[in-house]
Amino acid sequence: MAKHYILFPNYSQGLKLEVLLKQNNIKYVISPTPRKLSTSCGISIMYNKKDEEVIKDIIDKNSVEIKGLFTIE
Amino acid sequence: MGDYKKMWQDLNMDIEKHDILCEALPEQFGDIYLTQENRPEAMNYFNYVVAEIHGARIMELEKYKKEGGKVVGTFCVFVPDEVILATKAIGVGLCSGSQFWIEDGEKILPRNICPLVKAFTGAKIGLTCPYFQSCDMIVGETTCDAKKKAWEIMDEYIPVHVMELPQMKREKNIKQWEDEIRIFINRMEELTGNKVTIESLKKGIDICNGKRKALKRMYDLRKNTPSPISGLDALLVSQVAFSDDPERFIEKTEELCDELEERVKELKPNGKKRIMVTGTPMALPNWKLHSIVEGLNAEIVVEETCTGTRYFENEVSTEGDTIDELVRNMAERYMDINCACFTPNEGRVEDIIKYVDEYNVDGVIYYNLSFCHTYAIEYEKIAKALKEEDIPLLKIETDYSEEDTGQIKTRVEAFLEMI
Ligand code: SF4
Ligand code: SF4
Repeated sequence: MAKHYILFPNYSQGLKLEVLLKQNNIKYVISPTPRKLSTSCGISIMYNKKDEEVIKDIIDKNSVEIKGLFTIE
Repeated sequence: MGDYKKMWQDLNMDIEKHDILCEALPEQFGDIYLTQENRPEAMNYFNYVVAEIHGARIMELEKYKKEGGKVVGTFCVFVPDEVILATKAIGVGLCSGSQFWIEDGEKILPRNICPLVKAFTGAKIGLTCPYFQSCDMIVGETTCDAKKKAWEIMDEYIPVHVMELPQMKREKNIKQWEDEIRIFINRMEELTGNKVTIESLKKGIDICNGKRKALKRMYDLRKNTPSPISGLDALLVSQVAFSDDPERFIEKTEELCDELEERVKELKPNGKKRIMVTGTPMALPNWKLHSIVEGLNAEIVVEETCTGTRYFENEVSTEGDTIDELVRNMAERYMDINCACFTPNEGRVEDIIKYVDEYNVDGVIYYNLSFCHTYAIEYEKIAKALKEEDIPLLKIETDYSEEDTGQIKTRVEAFLEMI
């Protein structure tokens, strides 16, 4: 099953998005960043595909810095 | 994610070797933890701690040190964190639960000693643990021969303070431990330049008791059938308790418990066998036995280990107006821990029988790290007592390697069928 991740330039941006997702009642899981996506360790956020557009919106509106949204098959 | 390379370099780490460790963790954690169904949402915080274990938390320690603060590493539930807090130092329980460090440990230690000791030694000499690299001092104790002698080796790499733990529980032994706590206070005052006052010690005691209360609350919730949290998740919370910022840890664990309380109202029986694990500690990231057991039709509902009940049972009383009185209170609480290093150690048998009842346990697994003699020998007494009570028991002796995973799985499976 495909999994979807958001990566961040540093963990504080990740935590910033976490708070926003929680406020908006969007389900997510904090996860160690998979090696396939990045060689530096730290958190990423796993989300459900169906929430993707809403999440992008939240990221834009609140200027959360991200490295990008990624999918692993 | 964040670039921690520079920080690790400044900590004099072996970056390349450390990278092999970093590479394995996301996958291992993902496979074991993130595949669990219906996890509490509050576990996200603990996921965060693991994901940032060599990142964010280390940055906090480094920042604290730049401001003049001190960091000390510990390895045993007997080391009084209250004193560390009272001197405004940060204490971190060092994880020594990975096979990764064994190879380096075996370079200077005999092969036939416990994996925990080989792992922490390997982590230090291989320069692959950022916590170790952050420590200004580590605090050892004389709980077993392997550790006792390993401190001497360790002392060549980093300053070590060793506390002599008495091995009996007579009044004179408690007095002796009081004395060790006083010596520890002096050493911590020297290291940090901060005097322990009655207020600072009371505050330290309050924080440690807060941690104990939060863990106890989580364990009490596990007494429900079914438990609102998996044994794997509960183990992770206990493991994180050792190195996280204590006040933040308390807050997050209480949040988790609030969620679990809600869950309890809706849970329906799941028919899973309820298992107690008793024995030697499981330091981060040792999730081996829990993942095997919970991969089968069973849930672990209590751990009578140092990464379990022994860590949080009983609080230190804050009654008293002098440092000496508080030291006495601490000595009494710590000497109440039923570690197998004591002789005799009747209290442990009583604890286990009591927990079987309290947690409504169907069977007990005796978990023994290989070459841990005190626990291995004590098995006989426990086995006899459990037999008298008609409580099924399985002994698993193992280390951190994956080699025997299949074999353990078969044995646990047979055990579950029998009970
Ligand atoms: S088993 Fe005994 S020696 Fe080991 S951490 Fe626990 S109390 Fe300390
Ligand atoms: S598990 Fe046993 S042998 Fe290993 S450090 Fe603890 S007491 Fe010593």
